[in-house]
Amino acid sequence: MAELIVSKFFYNKEAAPLDYYRKHDGYEGMKKALAMKPDEVIAEVKKSNMKGRGGAGFPTGMKWSFIPKESKVPKYLVCNADESEPGTFKDRAIMTYSPHMMIEGMIIGSYAIGAKVSYIYIRGEYVREAEILEVALAEAYKAGLLGKNIMGSGFDHDMYVHRGAGAYICGEETGLLNSLEGKRGEPRVKPPFPAIKGAFGGPTIVNNVETLANVPAIMLKGGEWFAKLGKFPNSGGTRLFCVSGHVNKPGLYEFPCGSVTLRELIYDHCGGIRNGRKLKAVIPGGSSAPVLAAHELDIDLDVEPMAKAGSMLGSCGIIVIDDTWCAVKVIKRITHFYAHESCGQCTPCREGCRWMEDVLHRIEDGHGKESDLDLLLDIADNINGKTLCALGDAAAGPVTSFVRKFKHEFEEHIKGGKCPSA
Amino acid sequence: MPKCIIDGKEFEFSPGEMVIQVADRNGIEIPRFCYHPALAVVAQCRMCAVEVEKMAKIQTACSLPAGEGMIVHTASEKVIKTRASVMEFTLINHPLDCPICDEAGECTLQDYSFAHGAPDSRYEEHRRTFIDLDMGPVIKKNMNRCIHCTRCIRFCDEVGGFREMVALKRGNSTEITTVDGKPLETEYAGNLADICPTGSLTLVDFRFKKRAWYLAKTKSVCEGCSQGCNIDVNSENGVVFRHLPRENMEINKWWICDEGRFSFKYVNAEARVTEPTVRTADKKLDFTDWKTAVAEAKGKATGKVLVLIGSDLTLEEMRAIQAFAKDKLKDASLFHYGTPGHTKASDDKAEDKILRRTSKTSNLHGAEKLGLKGWEGQGKFDSALVFRGGRAMMLTDLRKNVSGALIGVGVFETAAIDSYEVVLPGLSYTEKSGTIVNWMGKEQKLNKAIEPVGQSRGVADVFALWS
Repeated sequence: MAELIVSKFFYNKEAAPLDYYRKHDGYEGMKKALAMKPDEVIAEVKKSNMKGRGGAGFPTGMKWSFIPKESKVPKYLVCNADESEPGTFKDRAIMTYSPHMMIEGMIIGSYAIGAKVSYIYIRGEYVREAEILEVALAEAYKAGLLGKNIMGSGFDHDMYVHRGAGAYICGEETGLLNSLEGKRGEPRVKPPFPAIKGAFGGPTIVNNVETLANVPAIMLKGGEWFAKLGKFPNSGGTRLFCVSGHVNKPGLYEFPCGSVTLRELIYDHCGGIRNGRKLKAVIPGGSSAPVLAAHELDIDLDVEPMAKAGSMLGSCGIIVIDDTWCAVKVIKRITHFYAHESCGQCTPCREGCRWMEDVLHRIEDGHGKESDLDLLLDIADNINGKTLCALGDAAAGPVTSFVRKFKHEFEEHIKGGKCPSA
Repeated sequence: MPKCIIDGKEFEFSPGEMVIQVADRNGIEIPRFCYHPALAVVAQCRMCAVEVEKMAKIQTACSLPAGEGMIVHTASEKVIKTRASVMEFTLINHPLDCPICDEAGECTLQDYSFAHGAPDSRYEEHRRTFIDLDMGPVIKKNMNRCIHCTRCIRFCDEVGGFREMVALKRGNSTEITTVDGKPLETEYAGNLADICPTGSLTLVDFRFKKRAWYLAKTKSVCEGCSQGCNIDVNSENGVVFRHLPRENMEINKWWICDEGRFSFKYVNAEARVTEPTVRTADKKLDFTDWKTAVAEAKGKATGKVLVLIGSDLTLEEMRAIQAFAKDKLKDASLFHYGTPGHTKASDDKAEDKILRRTSKTSNLHGAEKLGLKGWEGQGKFDSALVFRGGRAMMLTDLRKNVSGALIGVGVFETAAIDSYEVVLPGLSYTEKSGTIVNWMGKEQKLNKAIEPVGQSRGVADVFALWS
């Protein structure tokens, strides 16, 4: 197996404390970064070709370079630990086993963009993880890794853990910033983007936990080394895959970007489908990713190949569904989630998600009509790309893909007047 | 100046301007619910969708900064479909109760439904419903009609100055309401009904009184204080039904306060004296004809006459009174009066940071401009002529200064004329045209909206009878 970066301490119960982390090259990357100029740090991260690990896959170095050099108001770095995309559980493991890896990455990032304060916005349900982070922050302050004049570099930095209240929409970066500021968790109008006007009006970078946890390794071993790990030239490093559902060995798997296909992951690494059953579908990037049918598995697991296949790698939350599950039931449940989590700000998402859910509910209950399928596709089309933030797209994409790829199952429900598997 | 192209025409814009602003300035109509020029841009309703060349997604014109060379289409096929879809989404949970809704006829949602929506609905699921809380004496809420544009929330935050309205819950269940369900405290609550693009927020006072399309609108100026907010007087058949603010960026922007909004109430009030009234032989006040009343007044306005001129009168009326006093009264002393404690223009202060002024009459500054001094209760007189437009304080007892008859000319309430010998009914601001001067020194025109109520006559007519 290739070299592990973020999962190297996973399931090691001794790994979280600072002592252990420092014995294993911990904070060496930061030491190196603090001796460099901030611009050089950004250049190194750019060289690494790392794409954001949160879901959108935006190049991290480029994002950092959007922060204005001079700013009259304070700049901020925010770690998005509001991991709430269904099927995604990688950030939780990083925070549990390697809290310092993420903290180190945050300090490096803050140094690069010139932020004196950073926040970890963690979802409310992650109580234990928040506690682990508080302990880790206390250790870091005590060791002089946070606070005034870090490691004698002259760089001051403070870091805070901020617990959310468990709304999915607060994982959207501007919704997160509103929530962080104590406002209603609703996405903001863009532009201005957070890099220009983010938290408390200051230029702000919002990065995912895994993204930041990769930064120490990039600093320590160089951006070029990191870039070379990926199979494709524009996507460096490794990715954590959260495999859940009907496989024999669900769990977290770290592989270099693009180095394995979805089929290899499911059959070679995860031991195939549970109880020898047949695969029906795979949702490859958290529940908002359009579904893939059983024959669509020969896709390299990286951002671009997945987009080319009509889905998205998203947060790498791979949900495997076997043939005992009804496709209508699955998409009904997914749509319920998005309807429930819609913030209600913009019209298409507020009204459309609930409408799709109601129609799906009707079909699943056997009260569907022939015209409902076109209706669903049209509602999804009217939401997709027309909402204020990406939640609308996240709700519409799965519906469209399920209706298209499992049309026969919908039709069976409508014709038979009930769910065939009920 | 940089230029962009909207629907094939080139327009200049200043950097930072949004596409919707450029379009508005040039008469290109882009439909909108949540956007209001006075309020923060939230891009929530998605109705102002436009298509921009070289941009993959539909953009919202309210939140899209115009760019050099940007090519915008406001009526492309994609735009028309998007608007239709927003209309459909907006209406699936709307009760479609236009026939019993006060907003009908002046409802943005209704107008856009005609212009951009479909004639029927594909929606077959349950419509969501809410139970409404009392929002206080000014505004009646109907949450079922709400389309979540949040203009009301932003108005309270950004114009009213304090957060009184909020969105509760989330997603499809989002409810717009007041903080903790308390009644509204703002003195500008009526504006919420104006900016609400649906019948979700309506005026308690105006509800079920009149269909909007029956109302004639007359451009006028509010007489509630010295701000001089621009209004449309809405009336039908001699009855005033409401004031609506009229945009004037120098004076009141889009707003009026509630006091000004409801200041028309006395115009058609039963308590208003609208017939010439004199004290009869049995010492009681009774109606009479104009000739008798004026003759009576003329006979009693003798000796040293105190002439009190309400600062709620127009410049034209004040000048007429000055000329009349000079010509017809041998020994007259002229003063203006209006608001307690306001004898000079400099006594007039801002009452809040928005519009309201402490002078509760509209023309205090005009009166001073004509050389009139404020009445401070000084001197002894044989008789008094009190002119009043309808807003000035009611002078009920002048016995300290006046030994003889009190004669009222103008708008009086029956309850406040016990000490008067003669009352000649005059015109309110809705029944006459004229000029008033606001605190900034700006002269503005009142326009006659309705015919004089009852036997009421203007001062010029009264003076014509006098000689």
